[in-house]
Amino acid sequence: MNPGMPAKLTLPGVKQVIAVASGKGGVGKSTVAANLALALHLSGKSVGLMDADIYGPSVPIMFGLGTVDPQKTPLPLEKFGIKLMSMGFLVDPNQAVIWRGPKVAQAVQSFLSQINWGTLDYLVIDLPPGTGDAQLTLSQSAPLTGAVIVTTPGEVSLIDARKGVKMFREVRVPILGIVENMSYFEDAAGNKTPIFGVGGGLKLALESNVPFLGELPIDPRVAACGDQGEPIVRRFPDSPVARAYRALAAAVAEAANTPPPAPLPEVQL
Amino acid sequence: MPNEPRPVSLRREGDGLRIEWSDGVVTFSTWRRLRSQCPCAACVEERAKPPDPFRVLSPAEVAAGPPAPVAMKPVGHYAYQITWNDGHSTGIYSLERLRQLGEETT
Repeated sequence: MNPGMPAKLTLPGVKQVIAVASGKGGVGKSTVAANLALALHLSGKSVGLMDADIYGPSVPIMFGLGTVDPQKTPLPLEKFGIKLMSMGFLVDPNQAVIWRGPKVAQAVQSFLSQINWGTLDYLVIDLPPGTGDAQLTLSQSAPLTGAVIVTTPGEVSLIDARKGVKMFREVRVPILGIVENMSYFEDAAGNKTPIFGVGGGLKLALESNVPFLGELPIDPRVAACGDQGEPIVRRFPDSPVARAYRALAAAVAEAANTPPPAPLPEVQL
Repeated sequence: MPNEPRPVSLRREGDGLRIEWSDGVVTFSTWRRLRSQCPCAACVEERAKPPDPFRVLSPAEVAAGPPAPVAMKPVGHYAYQITWNDGHSTGIYSLERLRQLGEETT
């Protein structure tokens, strides 16, 4: 077999595999993935979070974890009830992972195949930005239920988010919907001020004919919670952002609750 | 996407591949045609060049004889990868491409 072509994987204990993606970096994809995973867990589900961003893993800092010795500590790690795997558990944060694409594909694949995820209702995969090796490997080899595309409201983000939509269409991975992050800032009086534009997520959902899963407000505490290792959904469960994440989790769960596409038939040679 | 035709069955028939599609259409493409239209980057680039009248077959091509698949595996939900008897295996044939390369038959 072509060495660049990953083998098909099965995750028998995992009911739904949900990829969180975006074309563009910096839209809050990892924050969304972490809080979505926690919100799903808070709804009573067993959840794993796999950080497929090999070059720039964010899961360790967002969950207050560091590197571990894989010989002594079994992976995945567990925090706040979520099973976690990240390159950041294996490589010192001061070291750069300087790898070409095939190694990235190999790492992503081993996270799926060599990590004992056990029984999960949802495995959320935090993808790196772009439409490259990690995305392609997962599309080709992982039993993805579907993808959630994250964008911010502005056109600069939408340009790349469209490419993400296009890629998942090309590889026939169902798009569960679009979520718009950093939609507006809400002050104490409840006044909403859009900072990065208005309506981009809905626009993309409408033009792509996929569900719009919701808006997530801006709150400085989101970043602070991420930096301090406890995502806002858990730290401030009554905040408007946490409520928006719980609504997002419900929308994602509903969108994912459709029969997965049937596997392609084998060829009789 | 939901309404696009998907293969229901794929099987070797004579010197080619017969595919029954979900919309009732049956297509047939010879292995020779599929091999000559390999979608991998190297083959696409090769086809874009002017034909070389002095091209010499590689020993693997000579030994392989007419193109035939050694394996053909599904890739995700969108394509098949064919490993050929000449050792080439980098071509990933999307469903769309397989449909295009096939001639409609009954």
